[in-house]
Amino acid sequence: MSRADTGGSVDTLDDLGRVIDTDAHVTEHLGDVLPYVEDRYSGVREIIDRADHPLYDVYTINHPTPPSIHSEFGDIYGQDAAPTRRRDAKLEEMAEFGIDRGILDPTLNLALNTVDNPTYAVALANAYNSWLLDSFLDGQERLVGNLLVAPQRPDLAAEEIDRLADEEAFVGIQIPSTGLVPPAGHRRYDPIYEAAAEHGLPIAFHGAASATFHNFASMRRWNETYAEDHALVHPYTQMWNLTTMLYRGTFERFPDLDVVFQESGIAWVPFLKWRLDDHYMELSDDLPLLTRLPSEYVDESVYFTTQPLGLTAASPKHMAQAIEMTGPGNVMYASDLPHADFDPPEELFDRIAPAFDGETVRGMMGGTAAGLYGL
Amino acid sequence: MTDRHRVASVEELAEEGSRVISEVAGQEVAVFRVKGELHALANYCVHQAGPLCEGPLTGRISAEEDGSLRYDETESVVRCPWHGWRFDVETGDSLQSDRWTTPTYDVEVEDGEVYVSR
Repeated sequence: MSRADTGGSVDTLDDLGRVIDTDAHVTEHLGDVLPYVEDRYSGVREIIDRADHPLYDVYTINHPTPPSIHSEFGDIYGQDAAPTRRRDAKLEEMAEFGIDRGILDPTLNLALNTVDNPTYAVALANAYNSWLLDSFLDGQERLVGNLLVAPQRPDLAAEEIDRLADEEAFVGIQIPSTGLVPPAGHRRYDPIYEAAAEHGLPIAFHGAASATFHNFASMRRWNETYAEDHALVHPYTQMWNLTTMLYRGTFERFPDLDVVFQESGIAWVPFLKWRLDDHYMELSDDLPLLTRLPSEYVDESVYFTTQPLGLTAASPKHMAQAIEMTGPGNVMYASDLPHADFDPPEELFDRIAPAFDGETVRGMMGGTAAGLYGL
Repeated sequence: MTDRHRVASVEELAEEGSRVISEVAGQEVAVFRVKGELHALANYCVHQAGPLCEGPLTGRISAEEDGSLRYDETESVVRCPWHGWRFDVETGDSLQSDRWTTPTYDVEVEDGEVYVSR
């Protein structure tokens, strides 16, 4: 019996058994998705088909400076050359990095909140889901996916959840979180949370620098570089959305709802938990819906995917401490592949293996995700 | 071993919402009259050791699923003057979390005098 089997320490990635990527991107091309637009939205399909600049005139993506190496992988624009437009390429990529299963997220459609026309947004989200099911999910075991919904129309988002939630390959709901205005704690989204809770599907919130302007207009206007924009927009986005969900009582209304915050690293979480607990105790007249500390709702219902951990190799024990403060049972490995700021499994494993027991390490590398997503 | 300590006359605590703070065996203790009854709490906020019972007595705000936001005017909550932490005078319990409780003490009235046991 290896040490891993005893629940003791885990020495190598090979001891783990399974690695699950909770933020595994496809890089969908708009041209791939358009044929999947439903007939009831054929007018949208036609108009987008005719558009000279759909990334700016349907999606309204903009950056302070070009997104440099982040676009070489089809990150934002879904270029023809994007490497994971196809299932085989995704599976090869996972094999290269020793990842057993992936929970698929979009790339271009992380900018769904920049689609100012709500009908277009719904048409594109639904088409993406049908495309993903057809092109990636059907007929294999290693890939599952998050079901994308358009927050612009919560009523139709709930309908889309009802349409596809019974497909086993959809294991969660994806809400693009940058440009989600009003923020996630607003009651307009309750139909989405209700549908997700009813079907037992966690909601994954994923930000994107492609939507910074739609969320933080002043910051975006005065950021002089893409680097500034990208560094801040992910954690800012998640902090705003999580704060509003906690303070406005989303988890009181939907106690069975689980949510996942992606692509923002880990170390902001203990900071925010401390800060929100403190404000809750001091400004409680503002927050009469809550019955316990905000951090207690987090511990029970909120999960965080690890990538990008940041440049922590010089002080690995501090990363482990940040995870300890966040709550190891709420932390799940994510690669973000194929995006150019990806973390291979070692990036997390090397920080946590010396610091936690085997069961906890296996949980973060895949076990917790398996439980949450029913894998 | 607790002893009984005189802290005030009943006249001093006759009115609803009145309070007396005195030192009882090395601990500042406040006695409040709330909802007609006397209640004794440590004048000590478990947050950062502020003088809890020198803060205002307030009612309490509650919200319901229907979106209502009501104010119960019964002043049975003491709010710490330092950071605003709130405690139920009748129980010592934090209004926000079951993690915190202010120590409470038994109060007795005998021959027009108020006694705290500590």
